[in-house]
Amino acid sequence: MPTMRYREALNEALREEMQADESVFVMGEDVGVFQGAFKVTKGLLEEFGERRVRDTPISENTIVGMGVGAAMVGLRPVVELMTVNFSLLAMDQIVNHAAAVGYMFGGQVSVPMVIRMPGGAGHQLGPTHSHSFEAWYLHVPGLLVAVPSTPADAKGLLKAAIQDDNPVIFIEHETLYGQKGEVPENGGASRFGEAAIRREGDDVTVVGISRMAITAEKAAETLASEHEIDAEVIDPRTLRPLDMDTIVESVKKTNRAVIVEEGWPHGGVGANLAALIQEQAFDWLDAPVMRVTGADVPMPYSKPLEQAAFPHEEHVVQAALSTFRDT
Amino acid sequence: MSEITMPRLSDSMEEGTILKWLVSEGDEVKRGQAIAEIETDKANMTYEVDTDGTVSELVAKEGDTLPVGEVIARVGEGNGAGRSSLDAGREQDEPEQKDEEPDQEEPQEEPEEPEKPEPKPDQRPATSDQPSSNGGERVKASPVARRMAGEMGVELAQLEGSGPGGRIVKADVEAAAKDGGERKPAAAPAAQRGEAGAKGEVEYQELTRLQQTVTRRMAESKATAPDFQLVAEVDMSAAVELRKRLKEVADPAPSFNDMVVKAAALALRDNRRVNGAYRDGKFELYSRVNVGIAVAGQNALVVPTIFDADQKSLGHIAKDARALIEKVREGQVTPPEVSGGTFTVSNLGMYGIDSFSAIINPPQAALLTVGALKKRAVPDDRGRIVARDMMNLTLVCDHRILYGADGAEFLARVRELLESPLSLAL
Repeated sequence: MPTMRYREALNEALREEMQADESVFVMGEDVGVFQGAFKVTKGLLEEFGERRVRDTPISENTIVGMGVGAAMVGLRPVVELMTVNFSLLAMDQIVNHAAAVGYMFGGQVSVPMVIRMPGGAGHQLGPTHSHSFEAWYLHVPGLLVAVPSTPADAKGLLKAAIQDDNPVIFIEHETLYGQKGEVPENGGASRFGEAAIRREGDDVTVVGISRMAITAEKAAETLASEHEIDAEVIDPRTLRPLDMDTIVESVKKTNRAVIVEEGWPHGGVGANLAALIQEQAFDWLDAPVMRVTGADVPMPYSKPLEQAAFPHEEHVVQAALSTFRDT
Repeated sequence: MSEITMPRLSDSMEEGTILKWLVSEGDEVKRGQAIAEIETDKANMTYEVDTDGTVSELVAKEGDTLPVGEVIARVGEGNGAGRSSLDAGREQDEPEQKDEEPDQEEPQEEPEEPEKPEPKPDQRPATSDQPSSNGGERVKASPVARRMAGEMGVELAQLEGSGPGGRIVKADVEAAAKDGGERKPAAAPAAQRGEAGAKGEVEYQELTRLQQTVTRRMAESKATAPDFQLVAEVDMSAAVELRKRLKEVADPAPSFNDMVVKAAALALRDNRRVNGAYRDGKFELYSRVNVGIAVAGQNALVVPTIFDADQKSLGHIAKDARALIEKVREGQVTPPEVSGGTFTVSNLGMYGIDSFSAIINPPQAALLTVGALKKRAVPDDRGRIVARDMMNLTLVCDHRILYGADGAEFLARVRELLESPLSLAL
């Protein structure tokens, strides 16, 4: 199985889908000549030309709006926004239009569009570039939300997102672009709503969102080696649809759940998932569902403060232990 | 689908033990059919279901002790209750959850179904001095521990939790189930042997529920009621004579105790505070005269009630008393039969006890104890020593409602009635 970086996997997905389907095109700030702020669109302008790889002005609401219109008339736009923070400028087009159009016209039109954007902290980009807004999009009916944490998922899910007839919010993790991993050769699209069990275990279920799936896996190794606790690590991969079957089945086995996310605690992905778990697996719980989240502050610029503002392995270990005993 | 909850079978009942299920899962039941034998703090009784349907689940196992209001069984309509689809509120894209577990079903309750049997208003028990809260603390246990404890018949209250903050977790229940096996209800008090010390080997006995109730109520009475005693000697010679004659016509012949009950009942009618209670800063004066008679049985003390004793003939009282005593000894007495007393008579005369004090049956104002009837040498009107049938009565009073003179007046009236007993025979 070939090894490639997360950004290369995304690039492959774009390339393959553009080759396979003429209606697929890429649009965004610096995606053409500059080949993308994170080089995800490298080589695409050269291969597919200006008509299908379009540089746009800095005007997020317009970029997304153009994508919605293009999608409504039959194209498959892949819009890149430079960070998830900037997508807030396009909230109107995303929530009021992309998500709603299909419902407003009784299904006569669909919006087969992908909005790609990186989120997450770690590169000292300050509070206007580093947030994790998965929860905001998870909140909106009509949007699918993908949060790949591995190169293989980045490729498989992006292909699936492009092929899907629903608008998809595709949130990449900014610190993962350089991450290497095996990606199946000639692998097709992944399926939305299928969680990955990253590590099997019987004692506690740890659900990690996006990069936090990786953090959770590391924490699981520590739990096993230092605390004799065998954690099962689940990466949901898509938040909507959400693979509750896999999560509930795991919780029924372990009787404990810890959810790890980078986003803010209130109204977060973990808050929502905790509610679903207790609704669907209450009688199997041996401890309250625990959440490990980003700090309840705008992301600091200072390196030590930024590091302190998102979850690390030890926080996950602590939370998992707290479901077993007083810590 | 309706839920059958642990019924409140007496006013002081806080929890009950399922002694025996009389139906199985899948059985059709009819409204009014007895489905379980339940042990309460006062008695064992059968519980009748108040709805038609099919027993879909016996949630509580035999031997389980559950607080009033906890689900003990579920009864569905017809065969196999349908699954409710309340999933609509869940997110649309979410793969549909398969509810493999029947207990995840949302109970669709008909509003009138799960009503709890209330004590009838006219049988308002005098024993309802308990705050009607659930009482006691909720046992801290995780949901899975709670569910498994129910399934395995482990009593959570007896476990020590190993989880955070002392929470009982799954592992605790599993461990308890492993070494405890199935617990039998209070019927057979578990005896344990302890270490031999200066007192030799100690046998520990668990209290039955009835004993627990007696323990609690007696301590409560002693701790709250400022009591005092009045003793009166009664010449029962005329009563002895009367009984001899009644024996010829009545079966069962009324006992002396029945006469005391009747005399007390008549006196209670005239001395209203004695037929009352001090409770929550108020005097409660009862319109019915319901005399409880203390009966030893079931390894404990039970006080069944002779309702409206002032209205009943001596013969009627005698019959009621026999029936109740019989029931107590066989453990068949029902909560309504031990509720609603407004006064208590306790008799140890048959053991040759001359006179004794006792503990007021709370919240009643007073209790009358009866000593042995013995021939004693007493001076008659003219100062001659004669042998008379004498008996001691002791009235134990709660001074919060009954003062010395009130008690004395009442006791004097009881004596008067017993010494000229013809009015009792009416």
